[in-house]
Amino acid sequence: MSFIVEAFSRACNLVVDFDPEVYLVVWTSLKVSFAAVVAASAVGVPLGLLIALREFRGRETLLVVLNTMMALPTVVVGLLFYAVLSRRGPLGELDMLFTPVGIALGLSVLALPIVVNLTISAIEGLDRRLFLTCRLLGATAVQQAWMILKEARFAVMASVVMAFGRVVSEVGIAMMLGGNIRGFTRTMTTAIALETSKGELELGLALGLLLLFVAFAVNAALYMLQRRSG
Amino acid sequence: MRLAYSAEELTFSYGAVEALHINRLDIRAGERIALVGPNGSGKTTLLHLLAFIAAPDKGTISFFGEIATPDNLLAFRRRAALLLQQSYLFRTSVLTNVEMGLRVRGVSRRKSRRMAQEALDRVGLLALERRSARSLSGGEAQRLALARALVLNPEVLLLDEPSTHMDKAGVQRTEEILLDLNRQTGTTVILTTHNLERVHSVAQRVVNLFRGRVVPAFTDNLFKGEVTGGGSSFETGRALFRLPVAARGGAYVTIDPTLIQVSRVLPEDAPPNTFEGRVVTIAQENGGIRLEVAAGERFHVLMSPGDWDLLKAALGEKVWLTFGENAVILLN
Repeated sequence: MSFIVEAFSRACNLVVDFDPEVYLVVWTSLKVSFAAVVAASAVGVPLGLLIALREFRGRETLLVVLNTMMALPTVVVGLLFYAVLSRRGPLGELDMLFTPVGIALGLSVLALPIVVNLTISAIEGLDRRLFLTCRLLGATAVQQAWMILKEARFAVMASVVMAFGRVVSEVGIAMMLGGNIRGFTRTMTTAIALETSKGELELGLALGLLLLFVAFAVNAALYMLQRRSG
Repeated sequence: MRLAYSAEELTFSYGAVEALHINRLDIRAGERIALVGPNGSGKTTLLHLLAFIAAPDKGTISFFGEIATPDNLLAFRRRAALLLQQSYLFRTSVLTNVEMGLRVRGVSRRKSRRMAQEALDRVGLLALERRSARSLSGGEAQRLALARALVLNPEVLLLDEPSTHMDKAGVQRTEEILLDLNRQTGTTVILTTHNLERVHSVAQRVVNLFRGRVVPAFTDNLFKGEVTGGGSSFETGRALFRLPVAARGGAYVTIDPTLIQVSRVLPEDAPPNTFEGRVVTIAQENGGIRLEVAAGERFHVLMSPGDWDLLKAALGEKVWLTFGENAVILLN
């Protein structure tokens, strides 16, 4: 029991002393997660808007597929992107395997269905009179989409925050596509897994504390956004 | 005579249910029209068609001489503003709400702000310009929606039950705004209402709708039944009405509530349609009095304050209702 208390105490010191190695890992995690969520949002929000506003053949099937993708196993995504980004893969020449860009790419695929699905829910949850009002004001289709998105902004932002929460705490993709290279692709989750396997609890605990703090911040942001969108 | 609208053989259905069937409807430019009818009569559907946010299943609508097609719908929509019965307010300030329609038309921020402030001043909401639109009361919200429509300087202003949620002062102010707008700019005003007492304070002409069709009568006193007596009367099961001319068919009759006379004694030479009943409701309605009298059927009577002063009947009191045969209109 005492070794846990000691490890926890040393972990707290690493956090409050701003240990460079700990914070480089945190920075890498935040960087790749942020990049992944920006990329997923750039594609996912317009896509969600389009799916929510348009009636087309196969829409129901697409919604089921998107819902299924919410439960995508991270190791499967990691495996697929490993194959694509490896030397013999179609994007092998881009040298993205075991780089932060490679991790961000894989994480963005994890984030995409979350952003798309929750954007669809956000738009479909809006008051139907909004759609009528946009048309009554003489808005073009693009202007209507923009006005609708602005009305759903808090709920859409909540979807982005939720996607960030998912990718920042993910381990499979970061491990398989990043390779856990110290000072380069080591993220909070991969570092925790590695340090624990080595029996070095304090670094793992320090990163765990910071990961919990990030999760708390994400959830606090989510709570506030959901209150404003409600 | 310039026509704002000319609709021909217009039909619109919700699924298998036909909501509107209008053979012909002409509305002159600059005219003030009230669409009157019971719930489900097609008033709102007609407004949506006239605002070009719904397309008819069949038939044509000409707008200032041009037939509406999918290619010109947006352009027409920008020339006609519709105020919904329960308006949607954007999640932003009162002022920005009014600016929205101008911004989508490419009006500069500075100009749209000035125009929006003028429109808010017109409806008496300028002092609230920075408030969140969502914090307004029901009446204020309707006035804001009116400002949002007025600021667009539409050639036609369509209003779906504009007095909903408004108090008496709000209704009067809205009516004044509509009359001023019509007189100053020649804007065609088309509104739906079930408030018969106030219809003529705004409208020059009333279009009565019943089950999606234009009919020549008010529908406050609408009774279902069948023609009897070889076409001389109409039997509802609770009342027998004398009809003006021999009629063959018709499943409903309607009686204009402003044409029913009420007296406390049986008048001499009472017309064929005379009913004895008791007063069950007395209500003030925008400057007039609405009585509900149980006399077999439940009759609604609208009377002026002067006529009411002469009658002064009490709740539960026995009264006589009389009206001529010509007040009874047969509907299919």
